[in-house]
Amino acid sequence: MEFTSFAVFFIIACTLSAVLLGISSLLGQKRKAIREMDIYESGVNPVGSATRQYDIKFFLTAILFLLFDVEIVFLLPWAMAYNGAPDQTFMMWGFVFFMAILLVGYIFVINSKALKWEE
Amino acid sequence: MLEAIIEILLKTAVILALPLGALPIIIHVERRGAAFIQKRLGPNRVGPLGLLQPLADVAKFMFKEEVHPAHVRPFFYTAAPVVALVVAILPLACIPIFAPIELFGRSVYPEVFKSDMGIFFAFAASALGSYGILLAGWASNNKYSMLGAIRACAQMVSYELSLSTSLVAMIFLYGSNDIHVMVAEQTGYWFGFLPKWGFFLQPVAAMLFLIGIFAESNRLPFDLAEGESEIVAGYHIEYSSMKFALFFMAEYIHMIALSALFIIMFFGGYSLLPGMELITDRIPASLAILQALSLIIKVASMIWFFVWVRWSFPRFRYDQLMNLGWERLLPIGIANLIVTVLFVYFRNH
Repeated sequence: MEFTSFAVFFIIACTLSAVLLGISSLLGQKRKAIREMDIYESGVNPVGSATRQYDIKFFLTAILFLLFDVEIVFLLPWAMAYNGAPDQTFMMWGFVFFMAILLVGYIFVINSKALKWEE
Repeated sequence: MLEAIIEILLKTAVILALPLGALPIIIHVERRGAAFIQKRLGPNRVGPLGLLQPLADVAKFMFKEEVHPAHVRPFFYTAAPVVALVVAILPLACIPIFAPIELFGRSVYPEVFKSDMGIFFAFAASALGSYGILLAGWASNNKYSMLGAIRACAQMVSYELSLSTSLVAMIFLYGSNDIHVMVAEQTGYWFGFLPKWGFFLQPVAAMLFLIGIFAESNRLPFDLAEGESEIVAGYHIEYSSMKFALFFMAEYIHMIALSALFIIMFFGGYSLLPGMELITDRIPASLAILQALSLIIKVASMIWFFVWVRWSFPRFRYDQLMNLGWERLLPIGIANLIVTVLFVYFRNH
């Protein structure tokens, strides 16, 4: 039942966006100017391709995000289970141990300057 | 069966109509607010006080030429605005605007997607927002778009960490991930006058969360994705007419959804504003309406706060932004979580 209503919501949301796009392509002005079809590069002629090399820092950020996000994914069920847990002392020390390991990793990341953006 | 279908359609209509109806008002408030802060007039010609300006804008968006440049990847170029808007709408499915009520002998839940994992679903869906942006930037095949999209994604994932750390702290304190339980925990008063809002329990987490939602919705001072002095307009530079409008709508709806989540976590969600109990004590039937009104007032104040911040602060530099996220907010968030857990443990033992 819940998933049915979610499916209905999802389909209506998709339809809404599609209808909005459809309206403007139906009503919109149609004029094919050659210069309009060009890549926008502040009015000068485009140079080279758009898919060129980017800073490795963006990639490192993504990798490190995965790492820390997994940490949070582990912590969310822990936070929910804590109140009903039979042995809260064990839960608490488990958490402290987990965070200590994470902290070592975090200090390593910061020390190796993986996230330093300016030189 | 028929009742169930009507209920689904009604709820969907209300949940979609509220933010979409508020959109023109928000855009108008933003433009007039900017003018107010910068001591100019703002749009005031179309209709009384310029109130019809947003409608005129919509009409203009519809009749503008839809430029479809030759160098883009066509399918993803068209799909990106749709993905952005749908993904921005999805979190709203889980946000309740009043407590469950008894209506015609059946209990009615206000949210479309009733789930005890509602808050996780809402966060997961709002985190998908970076897909629309990345898709747009990549499909546009333009250097500005690509740079804007990559920047936006790196920024969104970085600030998601401190945001979710404060989420863990709040879920730990409330002991539940059911939004209705969270709101029930925040109903009532401390010392008879201070509302039991999460903000007063966890001010540090609230600040982290607030900064996080600014970064997530790409608003100033975090709008590096479209820093016009560096990359012109970022990921939506090659988009025109309604496709551009869809990105615009997605940004504002994302803002509404994230504000509603912030309100639920830290400002009592749909719990009544102080003073409204006087009315519900006399007329118990008005409870649901007043709850919805409370949530709407709270979200509206948040939106005004967004506008206020946008026109008051300059944009960050990119390295400042990343340093703030990784070297300041993330450690603060983790320290806040550890302190919270240890405090709760040693208070109970």
